[in-house]
Amino acid sequence: MGAAGVEFDPGAPYRCSPQVSLRPEPFGALVYHFGTRKLSFLKTLPLVEVVKGLESHPDVHSAIEAAGVEEAQRPAYLRALAGLAASGTIEAR
Amino acid sequence: MAPIEQSEQLEDAPVVEETLVEEVSIDGMCGVY
Repeated sequence: MGAAGVEFDPGAPYRCSPQVSLRPEPFGALVYHFGTRKLSFLKTLPLVEVVKGLESHPDVHSAIEAAGVEEAQRPAYLRALAGLAASGTIEAR
Repeated sequence: MAPIEQSEQLEDAPVVEETLVEEVSIDGMCGVY
């Protein structure tokens, strides 16, 4: 079901896909992809910060750091972002 | 007496991921969004 067979590289610059609408919610954000018609929930506010901040950071790691994600949680965030990349919500730029 | 609960304790990591992103199927919800 992934967008393409592209591997997620957290050392590379990413952005939220232009085909994605991100709506802030009290729990995080609601994500709708107009291309795939997939609806997802981002269930923490820091994750929303990371996704929104991707565009202004040189790589995924620095976006995660800027969002204040604790070291211990970063692997889980990277896995979540890999999933978002596979579904086309975020994409390499 | 039989310890049947053990198999459920091994799956901590994937649960964390699920709390970060949850995909929702909207098949059959035409027009809602």
